[in-house]
Amino acid sequence: MSALQAALIGVVAALSVLEGGWLGECKLREPVVTGFLVGLILGNVKEGLIIGAQLELIWMGTASIGPTAGLSIGTGGTIGTAIALSTGSGIEVAMAFGVPVSILMQFLQTLVDTAYSGPMHTVDKLIDEGGKDKQIIWIHWLCGILTFLIYLSLTFVALYFGNEAINVIVNNLPAWMTNGLNAVAKVLPALGFALLMNLLLEQDLVPYLIIGFALTAWLGMSMIGVAAVSVALAWIIYLLKRDQLNTAKPSEEEEL
Amino acid sequence: MSMPITTQENARKLSKKEFNQIYWRSFTLLGSFNYERMEGLGFLYAMMPSLRRIWKDDPEGYKAALHRHIAAFNMTVAPSPFVMGIAVAMEELAHDDENFDVESINAVKVSLMGPLSGIGDTFFWGIFKVIACSLGVSFASQGSVLGPIVLLLAFNIPNFLTRYYCLKIGYNNGSKLLENLQQSGKMQLFTYCAGIVGVAAIGCMIAAWIGLECPIAFSIAGSEVVVQQYLDEICPQLLSLGATLLIYRLLKKKISIMKLILIIVAVSFVCGVFGILA
Repeated sequence: MSALQAALIGVVAALSVLEGGWLGECKLREPVVTGFLVGLILGNVKEGLIIGAQLELIWMGTASIGPTAGLSIGTGGTIGTAIALSTGSGIEVAMAFGVPVSILMQFLQTLVDTAYSGPMHTVDKLIDEGGKDKQIIWIHWLCGILTFLIYLSLTFVALYFGNEAINVIVNNLPAWMTNGLNAVAKVLPALGFALLMNLLLEQDLVPYLIIGFALTAWLGMSMIGVAAVSVALAWIIYLLKRDQLNTAKPSEEEEL
Repeated sequence: MSMPITTQENARKLSKKEFNQIYWRSFTLLGSFNYERMEGLGFLYAMMPSLRRIWKDDPEGYKAALHRHIAAFNMTVAPSPFVMGIAVAMEELAHDDENFDVESINAVKVSLMGPLSGIGDTFFWGIFKVIACSLGVSFASQGSVLGPIVLLLAFNIPNFLTRYYCLKIGYNNGSKLLENLQQSGKMQLFTYCAGIVGVAAIGCMIAAWIGLECPIAFSIAGSEVVVQQYLDEICPQLLSLGATLLIYRLLKKKISIMKLILIIVAVSFVCGVFGILA
């Protein structure tokens, strides 16, 4: 991996973190996206997309809701995919590096979030002094710039200077290790989906889970097909129940 | 527009330019997140252009307003412009009416954090993200560049629209609307119906994308027995479904997520090494 490539991948990792803070959680961090970008940088878009898709399944259920620490899937996905592509290996290597990175980087984020409490008191003082609006805005921006630089430099150092060590490790993985890691990569998405169920599933939604599963398991229907069927079902249910609401309270007609 | 306008009416008007400023600044809400004020500075940053307009003839009032909006604030980011809209409308009232209780501004902000985050998390972390990511995966897993494009569009069209309408509605008739929606039960119904789509997507993904298999094969009396074949006859993707439901039950038992990950990694690694799972 050239220095330029390592630096560009560092930019991707930093952007995947900044996405949450500065780009309105627009989902740049998702491994499908970072996998594509890393593939573009390393000249193997197809493989990058495929590994990204597999990492996506592992992390689909992780949500960093509120101040509770989740996983830094942006950096984990970026670095994991980069290592897998540069060593010519697959999902087991991407996962073996990506998952620990996503945990470590989340620890780092906790430190950063703690440290940024300090400047808030500076803002308090600036407000009292009056006429310091520009400086207040700058503190907001500096927090972002600093975050960007931290993640950019860490990723660059790890990929560029750790390159050889990573190669040695990857090339000497014994077969039993690869088998074990592969099984882990298969089971972890189940955790992701279980987490999603934990977030969304209510007792009276269970029938739709069965419908979704059955359509795909027995009929082999694609994701898009299932989405179409379930949107239609949801629509029907909405119309039926809306009429019930309206007959119960005819006066509360309200546009959504 | 040559009609003379009184200062009061002037102060009541959120211009298009200011609207856009709040809109785009709302995207940086988490930009200086910290454990003390959380999104406080980000919220203040979005509010600043409006506060400057509203309080331009009252420096002390302006300072007090700045202090109000750097107070601790934390919620799901996508519907946050709704709160900003309400807060701007309330600041305008506070400026025009000396008897206005300014404490109520932060009280309203805080009271909206919980319910709006609840709705926002369900939609943005649950439904929109699930649908966007699952569509993205279905293209990307075949190496198609459509993967990331579809993912970003499917998530961000709702993301951008929600912010726009939240700000507009929040400013114009915020607090009344929220009350109406909750009382009429419409919001609940809408969330439930969106849940149908989300949950069906999860069912599909369990069947399509885990692909857990048992590679054990042995022969009894000369005939080969492949365990996976029998499992498939009962139900395709039985092991994938079983693993998900098992983990879901463990989650319901409030086992900490880190502990759960460690258990899953250890168990599945060992099963992989001994050729029980693949």
